[in-house]
This record gives sequence, C-alpha cells and structure tokens, in this order.
Amino acid sequence: MVTYSRVVDDDDRVFKALADPTRRLLLDRLFERDGRTLTELESGLEMTRFGVMKHLRILEGAGLVVTRRAGREKHHYLNPVPVRLIHDRWIDKYTERRVSALADLKQELEAS
Amino acid sequence: MTTTTSTDLTTQVFQVTISATPEAIWEAITKPEFTERYFHGARVEFTPARYRAYGPEGENWGDSPTLEFDPPRRLVHAWQSLYDPELAVEEASRVTWEIEPQGDGSCTLTVTHDQLEGAPKTAAAVSGGWMTILTGLKSLLETGEVRAS
Repeated sequence: MVTYSRVVDDDDRVFKALADPTRRLLLDRLFERDGRTLTELESGLEMTRFGVMKHLRILEGAGLVVTRRAGREKHHYLNPVPVRLIHDRWIDKYTERRVSALADLKQELEAS
Repeated sequence: MTTTTSTDLTTQVFQVTISATPEAIWEAITKPEFTERYFHGARVEFTPARYRAYGPEGENWGDSPTLEFDPPRRLVHAWQSLYDPELAVEEASRVTWEIEPQGDGSCTLTVTHDQLEGAPKTAAAVSGGWMTILTGLKSLLETGEVRAS
C-alpha cells in the first residue's frame, strides 16, 4: 500500500533537488548530452569537483540522475520519470481545472 | 518558448520507484494481461527465449530474442520497433529491465534502452514512450488503475 507520507517524501526530494540553479544546470547539461562523466560535467563550472559531486548526489537521491559504470568510468544519465510524475501529480491537475473553469464560463456566457 | 534538442540518445535510462514486491513487478512486465493496460495497449509475452508484442488487433509489434531471463530481478531483450514501418527497418537495439528491492517494501525499476547507434529514429521516438510506460506501470501496481493520458 502506498502511504501518503512516502509520496510526499519522494516529491519533496525532487522539488528540493530542482530548487537549486546549479543542479538545474547539471540536468540541462545532461539533457544536451546524456551519459557524461564527472570530469565532463564539471568543466566550465565555477565550482570545485567536490561541490559538483555533492550536487550530483542530491540529484541521484531524488532519482533525477542515474549512474552507470563502464569500466573505470562512471556515467551520469538524466532520468526524466520523476519530473513526469510531478507533472502528472501537480501541473496537470491544476491546469485541467483552470481549463474546465474557462470552458464553463464560456458556456455560461454564450448561453445567456 | 525555447526548445532544446537532445543530441546523444544512444543510451537512455529510465528509473521509477514502485511500492510493490519484485515478483509483482516481474509479473506485470512479463504477462500480457498486465502489459495491455500500460504498454500502449500491447500484449507482451516473454519466454526465456523470445520477446513478442502484439497490438490490439493482433498486429506484430515486436518479435526479438530474449538475451537474459532472471526472474524476478533482470530481463534483457533485443528491441525492434515493428509497430512503425519507418523504425522497423532500423538495426536492433537492446532493452534491460532491472528490479532492485529497497528494503522498505518498494523496489526501483530501471529500464536501460541502449545499443541505439544503428537506430537513430527509434532512439528519438521511444523516450516519451518509456516514460508513459513506467508511470503507467507504477500507477497500475500501486493503485490498480492507469490514469488515461
């Protein structure tokens, strides 16, 4: 059974991970080219290797980044599923209501 | 609105946490009565030797070798998008399903679609599909329903 608190935990981790500009930048970099190593990800960033690793760990904890080892290299992949779940859970729900409210208003105005 | 195109799609990874046992997840992946509810309506059949997928009218949507069959943890099979003539002519790629228990009653399910070097159109086409499939599978196992989208 799914408990509400478990769902909140998962959502919390995703929202917190996305609430930082460096982490959003890292996700955008993986979107441009997926499967990058730490060295590739940190190039051009005004940040220590340790700092980038810390951000990647938070992204991994939220399920937004999944790592894969290939020989001695660790590759980072963008996992879009948590973003889709947030979209389905939060964004669809509210936009649907707004759209249907507008549709109702249109119907009411046109009927009178 | 800005759009950005992703360039390297030869390996794609999708992961979801599902509150279910590994056995329940394995069953939902390998039995057609489950897959038809979340896999774009496809009836998917797995044997240790073969992966087959049929459309709602019995169309041949997939027919490729199973490469690894290790219930309830790991399933690897070849992939060819037979449901679309333009994609069907591309080279075969590979899909790996991994189920990992998290010790709290949930599992992570990771789908890796790789070896897509010879199938650029398939690579561009499947990404949204895997997201729909995994969120649908999660919803089916956790709530018994798949929300229409």
